[in-house]
Amino acid sequence: MKKLLLLLTIIILGTLNSCTVIKEYEKVNINDPDMVLGDRPVDRFEVNAQAYREAASGANGGKTGGGCGCN
Amino acid sequence: MYFMKSILGLFIFLFSVTVFAQDSTSTYKKRVLETTEIDFLVSYYSQDGDNAAVSGGIGTEKLTDFTPTFVVAIPLNADDVLTIDAGVSAYTSASSSNVDPFDSNEPADPYVASSGASASDLWAGGNFNYSHSSDDRNEIVSAKISVSSEYDYFSLGFGGSYTKLFNEKNTEVSVHANVYLDTWKLLYPIEVRDTTSFIGLDKKNRNSYSVGFGFSQILSKNLQGALSVDLVQQQGLLSTPFQRIYFSDLPDRFHENFQLADDIERLPETRFKTAIGGRLNYYLNEVFVLRTYYRYYFDDWGINSHTASIEIPIKITDKFTLYPSYRFYNQTAADYFYPYNIALSTAEFYTSDYDLSEFSANQYGFGINYTDIFAKLQLAKFGLKSIDLKYDYYKRDSGLNYSLISAGFKFIGK
Repeated sequence: MKKLLLLLTIIILGTLNSCTVIKEYEKVNINDPDMVLGDRPVDRFEVNAQAYREAASGANGGKTGGGCGCN
Repeated sequence: MYFMKSILGLFIFLFSVTVFAQDSTSTYKKRVLETTEIDFLVSYYSQDGDNAAVSGGIGTEKLTDFTPTFVVAIPLNADDVLTIDAGVSAYTSASSSNVDPFDSNEPADPYVASSGASASDLWAGGNFNYSHSSDDRNEIVSAKISVSSEYDYFSLGFGGSYTKLFNEKNTEVSVHANVYLDTWKLLYPIEVRDTTSFIGLDKKNRNSYSVGFGFSQILSKNLQGALSVDLVQQQGLLSTPFQRIYFSDLPDRFHENFQLADDIERLPETRFKTAIGGRLNYYLNEVFVLRTYYRYYFDDWGINSHTASIEIPIKITDKFTLYPSYRFYNQTAADYFYPYNIALSTAEFYTSDYDLSEFSANQYGFGINYTDIFAKLQLAKFGLKSIDLKYDYYKRDSGLNYSLISAGFKFIGK
């Protein structure tokens, strides 16, 4: 666990150091709806099904809380 | 205990920040959300397999589920947004029907779903989320309350998050915390309910405490990525009361074609989970975007898992985008998992729930999106901004498979 956190810290610090700042007017491509760093609303059912059928879900969903998921 | 106290402390902090982070400035600023938005989302899920946990690792896993949901985002002022998310899930399930396999006119059989009263159920849930953005839009705090209920389960949840953007909005860090307080109605397999040798469960509550940290960074004009760490502590009833177990060291007993339970699944009352994930999205050109995701998970029940997925949105016109996707998942088995009729009655913990077994799964998806940025098509006082349709097919190497059809319609206030 400590090694993983250390690795993450190194990656984050390395990333910060290597980046140039992108100005707002340069973010046309970054602001494309498909570049969002997350799921689209319609993906919620897919995520929900996976939470029910797989053991590696988080705190909310499936058999692990925030709903039954017992089927 | 220390972990739970830390989460509660963080939760109280986030909630306090949300309540007190009100700005008094009256200078002009762009609204966080210009107008009310309504998402109507609906899905149809169909599953099949031959390893039902309700019948100790054998038997049909047939399940269908229809889930209509509304998500309404309301701008309260320039800075604050209230989001209400409410939905129901109407399902028919061989699993729940075989809690009592003897309540229909047909001979009971684990490979046939009983058509009795327990064959279907309704889940209903909703959550309220309130978010506040600072004047410079570099800080966002939110708080939420969630509730869900079905016949044998009730869940109440609280959560909060804090997000900070800096480096000219190139970098974002966030922290979120959630608490779920769940209560079971203990529903045992029908044949053990009046058995004197059966020892019932002494807990019916399940509490989940989670905290998560996020970090995202714009790496170039076309590339951005995110990292996340989630920690979850659970305690209470973590098993499902009506899932049967058949012991190898006890004689098998049948009624009709159905094997009677030797016991129910029994699992530890605590579980600690850790998940570390990352996303990397690359804007290839005006037609293609590359979306990738990876997650590593481990817990103290002995489960390790890897998830990797890729999606390549293809803009075929200015209004239509295609979404082919592939996802790979694998997990090791929980320490307490035993296939059908393998567990020993002398063990402390055991389950034959194949969702806790070792398996790999592949998922193939294909979606299509239609977007009209002018939302010309009117419905009452709302314009239709986008339509999403998606099909997913999921298959485990242990046999279970499902198909999922999802649709989403986004309306914006005019």
